[in-house]
Amino acid sequence: MSLKTGSRRQPLNAAIVGIGESTVGRVPHLDALGLQRMAAVNALADAGLTFADIDGLLTTPIRVENWAMPCGVVSEGLGIQARYLATLDVAGASGVAMAHHAAMAVASGQCETVLCVAGQNMLSFQSRGDAVQKMADAGWAHPDFEAPHGPLVPTLYALAAQRHMHEYGTTPEQLAQVAVTMRENASLNPFAHKKDLISLADVMQSRMITSPLRMLDCALVSDGAVAFIVTTPERARDLRQTPVKLLGHGYGHSHTYIGDYKNVTTTGAVRSGQEAFAMAGLTPRDIDVAQLYDCFTITVLIELEDLGFCAKGEGGHFVQSQGIGLKSPLPVTTHGGLLSAGHPGLAGGMFHLTEGVRQLRGQAQARQVPKTEVVLVHGNGGIIGLHSTLILGKG
Amino acid sequence: MTATMNSLNSHQYWESLRTKGFCLPQCQACKEFHFYLRPACPACGSAEIEPVVVSGRGQLYSFSVVYRAPSAAFEKDVPYVVAIVATDEGPHLMTRLVGVKPEDVAIGMRVSVKDWRTSNLPTEHPSIGQAPPLFERAIS
Repeated sequence: MSLKTGSRRQPLNAAIVGIGESTVGRVPHLDALGLQRMAAVNALADAGLTFADIDGLLTTPIRVENWAMPCGVVSEGLGIQARYLATLDVAGASGVAMAHHAAMAVASGQCETVLCVAGQNMLSFQSRGDAVQKMADAGWAHPDFEAPHGPLVPTLYALAAQRHMHEYGTTPEQLAQVAVTMRENASLNPFAHKKDLISLADVMQSRMITSPLRMLDCALVSDGAVAFIVTTPERARDLRQTPVKLLGHGYGHSHTYIGDYKNVTTTGAVRSGQEAFAMAGLTPRDIDVAQLYDCFTITVLIELEDLGFCAKGEGGHFVQSQGIGLKSPLPVTTHGGLLSAGHPGLAGGMFHLTEGVRQLRGQAQARQVPKTEVVLVHGNGGIIGLHSTLILGKG
Repeated sequence: MTATMNSLNSHQYWESLRTKGFCLPQCQACKEFHFYLRPACPACGSAEIEPVVVSGRGQLYSFSVVYRAPSAAFEKDVPYVVAIVATDEGPHLMTRLVGVKPEDVAIGMRVSVKDWRTSNLPTEHPSIGQAPPLFERAIS
C-alpha cells in the first residue's frame, strides 16, 4: 500500500474552547440523555457559553437504550437549534473523529459553534454479563465467519497480544505495567471510576479471561458522558479559556476483522500517525503528552510502536524501561484511560481529548505535566484496525 | 471482466462446505483465494468468486484460550481455544482448535481442518444452521 501522506491536507482553522464530563462510574439515577446534558452543561460553563450559542451538534450511537436517531434525540433533549447535526460512528475512534468533523464544519462556515457530546449508562442499565454478551454479539467479530467460534471482544485483542508476545518477546509483566500506570493516573483524577491503586501482582493474578489477557488488562464498563465545544478562532478570542488548536489530524484503516488480517501486530495507527504528524509538521519527539486509546493493555504497546514513539516490537520494553507515568519522558493517558478512569462505550475516547485539553491549559492539577505544549490524542476503533490521530497545541 | 452482480453468498458457501468439503472462496479471474467471503475479490475486484476445495491444512498464527464464555451457548465448551490459522493456500481465518489441551497449543504448530460432517461438534451456530469448520493438530 502506498502512503500518500497528507500532501494537500492543511490544518483546520478551528479551536477547542470548552470541555466537560458528567459524573463517571456507577450513576444509576441518570439515563443517557441526563448524563449527556450534565457533560454539556459543564462544557458550556467551562467555555462561558449557553445552549443558545450552539448551532452545530455531533453525537455517537449508544448501545444500551434504543435511540434510532441519536443526533435528533440529543438535539431535542438539550434544546439545540442546529444548522448542522450528525451522528458520527468511527467506533472507538469516534471521539477523536468528532473533533475533526466539528472543525471541518466550523472552518468551512457551515456553522459557528459545535457541541460534541456522547455517553450512556453502560453499567447501570444492564448487568455486566449482558454488557459482555451484547458486545460479543455486536459484530466486532464477523457475524458469519468469526462469532460462531465464541470469541469475546477481549479474545479478538488477545489474538493480537499473543502474536505480539510470540514475535517480540513481550511479557505479561509489560502488559500489566500499563494497567498499573493507568490506575496511578486515575487515583489522581477526581472523576475516575476506579481510584484504588493496584500492583503488578494484582494484575497478573487477576482472573484469566482470554489468554493472555486477564481481567485487569481489560477496560472498565462505566456510566458517563463527555462533551467538548469547537468554534472559530475569532469566536474563541472572547471566551473564558485559552483556546486549543488542532495542529494535525489523520485516519488509518488497516483491517475490519482480526481473523483474516495477516499482520495483527502492525495497525492503521501507522498511517493515521504519519498523516497527523505531516499535517502538523511535527515528529513524535515533539509530543509532550500522548493520550493513547487503552481499551486493553496491548493496545497501548502497539500504538506506541505504530505512532513512532519506539520501534516495532519495542513497546513492552519501552513501558518497562522508561515508564509511561506522569514523571516519565512521555506521560501516556494521564487521566487513567479506559482501563481506570472510565469507559461508557463510544464516548470513552473523548475523555482522552478533554484531558489533553486540560494538560495544554495547565489545569490538570495533580496530573499536570509541566511545560506541556503539544499533545497527541489517539483513538482506536474496532479490533485495533480503525484509527484516528489528533495533534493539539496551545491556541 | 464481466460485471457479475450475483456474488457468491454466504448460504451458497456453507452449502458447498457441506456437500464438497472444506472450501475457500477463489477468484476465477485472478485465481487468488480470500477469506472471509466478500462480494468481490479483494485482490482484483472481480465478482466471479467460486468456493474451491483446498488442502484444509495450515499453521497456527495466533490463539487465545477463552475461560469466560460470551453467552450461555458457549458455557459448556469453556475453556476453549479460539485460533487464527494461516492456511497453506494463503488466507488467514478464525476457527476453533479442538482436541488439544490449552497448555499444548503453540503458535507455529501444523493444523488441519476437522471433518465436521462426521463428528460431534461443540457448538452449532443458530444463524448458520451448522457448525463452522474447526481445526485440530495435523497428523503428519
